[in-house]
Amino acid sequence: MALTERLETARVEPASRDRVRRAQAFVVASLIALGIWQLATLISDGWVPSLARIFTAFIEDATTLEVWGQIWITFRRILISFSAATAIGVVLGVAMGLSRRITAFFRPIIVMGLAVPDPVYIIVAILVLGTEESSGLIALVIALVPFVVNIVAGGVRARDEGLDEMSTVYRLGRRRYIIDVVGRQVAPALLAATRTSFAFAWKLIVLVEAMTQPEGIGAQIYYSFRLLRPDHMISLALLFILVLRLVEGLAFAPLERKLLGWMR
Amino acid sequence: MSAVAEETAGAGYIRVEGLSVSYDGVTPAVTDLDMEVRKGEFVAVLGPSGCGKSTLLHVMSGVMRPQAGRIEIGGHAVGGSAAADSPPIGYVFQDHRLLSWRTVGQNIAIVLQAAGVSAEEINERIDRYLEMLHIDGFRDTWPMRLSGGQRQRVSIARALALQPAVVLMDEPFSTLDEVTARLMRQQLAELWQESGHTIVFVTHSIREALFLADRIYILTKGPARVFDVAEVPIERPRRYEDPKLTELEGEIVDRVLGVWGIGGKP
Repeated sequence: MALTERLETARVEPASRDRVRRAQAFVVASLIALGIWQLATLISDGWVPSLARIFTAFIEDATTLEVWGQIWITFRRILISFSAATAIGVVLGVAMGLSRRITAFFRPIIVMGLAVPDPVYIIVAILVLGTEESSGLIALVIALVPFVVNIVAGGVRARDEGLDEMSTVYRLGRRRYIIDVVGRQVAPALLAATRTSFAFAWKLIVLVEAMTQPEGIGAQIYYSFRLLRPDHMISLALLFILVLRLVEGLAFAPLERKLLGWMR
Repeated sequence: MSAVAEETAGAGYIRVEGLSVSYDGVTPAVTDLDMEVRKGEFVAVLGPSGCGKSTLLHVMSGVMRPQAGRIEIGGHAVGGSAAADSPPIGYVFQDHRLLSWRTVGQNIAIVLQAAGVSAEEINERIDRYLEMLHIDGFRDTWPMRLSGGQRQRVSIARALALQPAVVLMDEPFSTLDEVTARLMRQQLAELWQESGHTIVFVTHSIREALFLADRIYILTKGPARVFDVAEVPIERPRRYEDPKLTELEGEIVDRVLGVWGIGGKP
């Protein structure tokens, strides 16, 4: 083998070997998980649905148009509450990160907001606003905002103050300072906040829908529970997880590449 | 002295009068400091580490407000109500202070955009100043891909591209290795001779001050006050190894020893 060829191989091998190892680990971990699941099916005398039953239910749900309608209803609710929580959280978080006075005012509320268990918001919202769709969404937004605020405010506080001075000296102006200087420094924290808030929104919306709504994936999961159809409960959840992975791949990952591309 | 400086010599372009600054309102960092810089002049501010040199530049740039005294640049009060109308200031920090998420060209562009320079002019100035600083191949490079010296060149290009009335430089070469620092000093001296900018250069290195400046304001150990003003009677272009520099360096060392050294009184 020529020297250049050997060097090429040496350079390529570690990366590809790493990929193969990761793929191997994924396959082994998946097989172990599936094996444990199948074992649980045997031990539980059928109460834990078998992999075959889950797969059949998954195909059935995935090919039913109505299920996709339910997925859309839940997805829309997540999108609304997530967007509202992120918008409020980012504005409040940036303000708290920049101003000690605003921090002093909102900090006790945020600390309390973080300490209250999420289902409490849902129950209180139902008691105060009834079982309307909006009450669930409001509860979700209230539950999510403190998390977003906390992450964003921390990111803004940890900014490089030297760049603040640079912005003042060069008179960059408020808009450029917030977007180009502070915003870009907070971008990693902001991405973490949006991902967290999206994941929380999904977890809570299932609860909200199960408790208050006749429609949506959460309501369907609850419906399957009442009919003692655990295979469909799991298949519906899996289907929605796939949708969320799709959102991750189509929205969050490209956004991350765009905002943090300079780090690579 | 540069051509521009000779034309306008005598006029106090930067005036600092009775300046007193404190970070906590109690401990003074700068006290009763007076200074005058002519247009196109290269002035060095020399003082020991921690004496308040950087604080002086902070106030001159409008980042900090003084407790007492005033600063005027080109007839405009710095930090006053009409600060936005005052002439632009270029600032080269000790560390580069570039935006890591913007390429070299974009780092310069943002400053020019904020100053209201047209897109065409921005493009032209970026090319011109990057070439002037010998980094014209790095326009689309991320700052983190550059060496310390290259980043500092970008920082200088950013300051000069603004075509500011005054360039403030806060020990810009102190974090660089000696060879790069010497090269940068040489290039800065040449650039200044070509452009005729008014430069206030803060340093704790006597030799650096002597090599670059027309005049040197020597400050006391903190809180900073002007202890002496020294003219540099050496023709340009200067050589860093010039024996005359060594001789003058020795003289200044003798003068400041009692003031900067242990037991000295300001």
